[in-house]
Amino acid sequence: MFKLGRRRGERLEFGLFTLPALICIAFAFYVPFMLTVRYSMTKWNGIAKHPTFIGLDNFRQILTGDANFTNAALFTLKYTILYIVLVNVLAIALALVLDMGLRSTNWLRAAFFVPYILSLVIVGFIWKFIFMQGFESLGDSTGWSVFALSWLGEPGLAFVSILGVSIWQSVGFYMVIYIAGLQSVPDDLKEAATVDGAGAVRKFFSITLPLLAPSITISVFMALTNAIKVFDVILSLTSGGPGGTTYSVAYDIYRDTFQNNLYGYGTAKALILFVAVLAITFVQLYIFKRREVEA
Amino acid sequence: MSKSVSAVPKRRIRPGRLVLEICMVLLSLLFLYPLILTVINSFKSFAEVMSDVIALPQSFSSANYAYVWKAVDYPRLFLNNTIVTGIGLAGIILFSSIAAYKMSRSRSRMSGVLYMLCIIPMLIPFQSIMLTVLQMAKALHLSESTWGLGILYWGFGAPLAIFIYHGFVKGIPREIDESATIDGASGFRLFFSVIFPLLKSVTTTIIIIDVMWIWNDFLLPLLMVNGSPATKTLTLAAYTFVGQYTSDWQYAMTAMVMAVMPSILVFILLQKYIVRGVVAGAVKG
Repeated sequence: MFKLGRRRGERLEFGLFTLPALICIAFAFYVPFMLTVRYSMTKWNGIAKHPTFIGLDNFRQILTGDANFTNAALFTLKYTILYIVLVNVLAIALALVLDMGLRSTNWLRAAFFVPYILSLVIVGFIWKFIFMQGFESLGDSTGWSVFALSWLGEPGLAFVSILGVSIWQSVGFYMVIYIAGLQSVPDDLKEAATVDGAGAVRKFFSITLPLLAPSITISVFMALTNAIKVFDVILSLTSGGPGGTTYSVAYDIYRDTFQNNLYGYGTAKALILFVAVLAITFVQLYIFKRREVEA
Repeated sequence: MSKSVSAVPKRRIRPGRLVLEICMVLLSLLFLYPLILTVINSFKSFAEVMSDVIALPQSFSSANYAYVWKAVDYPRLFLNNTIVTGIGLAGIILFSSIAAYKMSRSRSRMSGVLYMLCIIPMLIPFQSIMLTVLQMAKALHLSESTWGLGILYWGFGAPLAIFIYHGFVKGIPREIDESATIDGASGFRLFFSVIFPLLKSVTTTIIIIDVMWIWNDFLLPLLMVNGSPATKTLTLAAYTFVGQYTSDWQYAMTAMVMAVMPSILVFILLQKYIVRGVVAGAVKG
């Protein structure tokens, strides 16, 4: 009797501790997710009283005959790959310099990190101003032709601008992760390599880089999750232009759902994004876990 | 982190090093130049912005600031941001810490399943569920209200917070719970007087990550509280404001400076903790 009562008490306590969080998470993710799955199989403009069930038609149309989605997917893919590579290479380079014990290290770390604490929408606006007004003045005073290019008006350049601004905003974040990683590389290992006659380049590739593997895993993972969902910075920088060439998948979903009122169709796209994120995450975790063990 | 950097012994300054040092400082100034230009232009008149962006303003007049301050009702926005961030943070910390503690301590299989259910949503991109989140928030009367927006962050912030807390609680010996039980403390009292103080370092990490996220968040506020100027957040108001003043760059830049100023001031004051917290969050997350 007594034992049963105690167990019941423990259960009650477990419930009291965990239920608030479980309820919040259920309402934030699971309920909306199930509704998303339901809507994705309907045709609905949000005004009609009830969505019409149309099975998998939305998915068929998205995957076979939706040029907007295909373009957005290609844009996102190109953006994601270049973003991951460039932001990590630049961050490692900066981290290496900042790990050398320069006198200005503290200033440099703060300076490169600052954009990361700013909202991406605002970063987009600031750069829009720089590209549209600032470059004109800079071109006038320097005479350099780079400033005369239409950085937001030409599709190829607009892509570069979005990529560059995203990197500018977040490189400091990856940099501090790599600095932390570098500081866990034991000094005696590097010294031993120097004694053995390894040059700086050799030392970097055969000692520093392999030992940075955990930091690289984290950074690539975070860069991937952020890049695949890119939205805010495009909204304020180009609004999808010029000529609709800079829509990302997330922005395309936003456009269909909230601007074109295609609720069913938009949620079907949203579900495809989810599946893509899930698949990529698992593949990536699998690859990196294996490689880390080998290193 | 900063400790080990400054602990590097001072060497004789070599010319190569000096050149590198100067180059890096110049590079950092170039890196920050867009922000510097933003501040400079926030003080200019319309004509000055149009004639030359890189020149310094003729006089540092506060006219733009006075105008934007009134036009967007800055104190109201600041209060809204504080309410949303405060409510969001309080719920995330409270609910996630108690839940993660119990799940980490319990050895039952159900507890393990519930823990997985708590952290799996980290894989769901917000854009995948944004429409239905909005509909649900409307049904629960949480939309178009700063309080409601704050409450919504409880669920969105919980998975990462539970994940970080869960891992940390594992490292706290069970003997501490047991000896507290013998002393007569149990349930919530045991948690808040004994365990929670031990979680201080991770709580700081979670606070830093979540404040940066909620304070700057854009899409959720855009969907939830864009209906009335009274409920807008700083970032959202800056977005709407720029939309209305597309060619008045001097006002737009002033609004930008006013929107980012709180973050920059906090960063200058708490730089060390913020960088450390962000790294810890990334490494654990």
